[in-house]
Amino acid sequence: MATRIHGLRVALLAAAAALTAVLRADAQSLRLRADAIAETRSPAPAGLVVLQGEDKVRPWLGVEGLVWAGAHSGSDADVLTLHVRLREPHGLGELRAGRFVLATGAVRPVSLDGVSALARARWGSTVEVFGGTPAAPRLGDRSYDVLAGGRVAQSIASRGAIGVSYVERRSRAEIADEELGADLALAPVRWLDVAARSAYDVTSPGIADALVSAAARSGPLRVELFASHRSPGRLLPATSLFSVLGDFPSETIGSTVRWVAAPRLDVLASGAGQMVGGEVGGNGWIRADLRLDDRGDGSLGAEARRQHVSTARWTGLRLIGAHPLGHGLRFTSEIEIVIPDEPRGRGWVWPWGLAALAWRSASGWEAAGAIEAASTPEHRYEVNALARLSRSLGIP
Amino acid sequence: MRYALTFVMVASLGLAACAGVLGLGRTSPSHPFEHRAHVDKGVSCVACHAGISTESAAGPLHLPKAADCVRCHQEPHDRRDCAGCHGEAHVRGGAEIARRHLRFEHGPHTRAVKGDCVRCHVGAGERDPAAIRPAMATCFTCHEHQDEWRTRDCDACHVDLAAEDTPPASHLVHDGDFVREHGVRAASARDLCASCHSERSCAACHAAGLAPALPSHLRFDEVRLSGLHRAGFRSRHADEARADPGVCTTCHGESTCIECHQRTRVAPGAGARSPHPPGFVSTARGGGAHGVEARIDPAACAGCHGGAGEQLCVGCHRVGGPGGNPHGRTFSSTKDKLRDLPCRLCHGGGP
Repeated sequence: MATRIHGLRVALLAAAAALTAVLRADAQSLRLRADAIAETRSPAPAGLVVLQGEDKVRPWLGVEGLVWAGAHSGSDADVLTLHVRLREPHGLGELRAGRFVLATGAVRPVSLDGVSALARARWGSTVEVFGGTPAAPRLGDRSYDVLAGGRVAQSIASRGAIGVSYVERRSRAEIADEELGADLALAPVRWLDVAARSAYDVTSPGIADALVSAAARSGPLRVELFASHRSPGRLLPATSLFSVLGDFPSETIGSTVRWVAAPRLDVLASGAGQMVGGEVGGNGWIRADLRLDDRGDGSLGAEARRQHVSTARWTGLRLIGAHPLGHGLRFTSEIEIVIPDEPRGRGWVWPWGLAALAWRSASGWEAAGAIEAASTPEHRYEVNALARLSRSLGIP
Repeated sequence: MRYALTFVMVASLGLAACAGVLGLGRTSPSHPFEHRAHVDKGVSCVACHAGISTESAAGPLHLPKAADCVRCHQEPHDRRDCAGCHGEAHVRGGAEIARRHLRFEHGPHTRAVKGDCVRCHVGAGERDPAAIRPAMATCFTCHEHQDEWRTRDCDACHVDLAAEDTPPASHLVHDGDFVREHGVRAASARDLCASCHSERSCAACHAAGLAPALPSHLRFDEVRLSGLHRAGFRSRHADEARADPGVCTTCHGESTCIECHQRTRVAPGAGARSPHPPGFVSTARGGGAHGVEARIDPAACAGCHGGAGEQLCVGCHRVGGPGGNPHGRTFSSTKDKLRDLPCRLCHGGGP
């Protein structure tokens, strides 16, 4: 634990030093945002601070930090991201060091304390290597100790890219996970986008995760077809006892359609068939968004949803509304009603509602207050008040 | 017949009333500027946008003022400012944003197209243009920028893409259910995403294992935000997790479940309620529902029973134990069952 705390201190000092260097340069591009949120449900207020700095004199240097601070049941503070980014001015290379979110190729998003380096060639080849330790909340236990890997990709005539990747996770020097991945993104014609990703588990041979989607656009219509395959047991570290139960994948195949029915009216609908644990089911939803003015400051929305797979069976309805009141004030409200097929002692309906008043000034101040009320499976009724104060500063 | 006629009339009135709301009819006096009419009359663009052909990157916007209009329209029909109705404020605002965020000079471009402004500003030649500002695809018709595209070197034209905060109109369009789509697209083009999005865009959701800083939590007043955790998610979360096994592990660590369940006293312990239904674990053949549930979503079990909690399983399912063989028919592994974890917990006699 002491080593971890020392490691974090070193990372914090390094980032702070780099940030200081950025701040001391003249004519910097520095963005700062701070949010403080308080709610009656939580024991004490909490806050989120975003600090992002880029140096116009030295455009190859950037620093970004995102820190959560608050008394949230033992979680006093934690760093979500804090890293230094060095970039070759023409985009031929990039280095990130510190805490950041890594997501590329076969690697599903992971918060990493480590380093990532990327090199690009003008003919469209990309090589990326990364390594580090997974960020654990409050320097606590990790499910594995070290992650390392890389990705090699090649663009295809500026119409897409294909990549292969490898990632290895180790726990106490043992391999906790080893995955090979492949990914593809194509836009062969202006109206068609295709993307796919697959990760193959080398430790327990089989496909851990695969996704494919294709979207076509024509005027006000956009139709997307998608399919996914996920093997939950393979998503756990192979050192977990729960990874040995066998391959029981969940699979989904479906379509999402967007229709701009009128200049201010969008309709989105989605339907999918699912196979979960050998049971066939599905889900579907339809949503309509109506903007009440050209800028979309005022809006009305309605959404109906049905989930019917395995033991997860419920029907939901959601209504939203936003109305500008002038002088930077805006009233918003949201109502959701969920009716489970099998209440099982959790109540036959779970209503939830929120009414909020928000204010935004041109100088970067924001304030919002809301009352939230619900009847949940745990509580017959529950009322919660929320308040947020935010300040954004941008120094061009 | 009479009823049908009445219905048609009522429906027509209803549609007419809705037309303004839907954006089919105009509710404000402003409308797109009549560029087409001026082009048809042979009015040169530079007659109104004077000086634009010699403009530098830092120059003024050259948007005409009322004084420019009355040079030709000597008897205006109204005393108010022409720009109040002729032309839309958001189009002028767009021009100001472009001036701030793009490295662009009209001068050399005007000379290159020999004064044919409509070659880029296609909207100026249309009767009811959707936009006057050219899309990026229009730039690409002359400027190949292949090298810059491959190396994500956007700085040559864009001053600061992240600060620009303008969604692309003609490429990488984020329409449809983009929250669902973004993962598969980011897998192959993370560096492309990074050309506009800073790290905090990812961390806002994917660092949820570290802190409860989700946009839906912080920006509770933004009711148009989409995503899994909107509205009464706390009520739905168990059913949402069961409907899409493994999806929670995309962002949440294994300890997320137990931390929250302990706080809300829905976890093993004194005075706590069990989240499992009666008969979840049984000594009867089949062992109750827990085996099936564990195979469908083992990550959900690991959320509370991971780490030292695995001994709960080992107690019954160790080799020779009363729980029997937990491996499914499809199980295979390259591990050494006597030496490697977790195999040795059951096969090797202990941790």
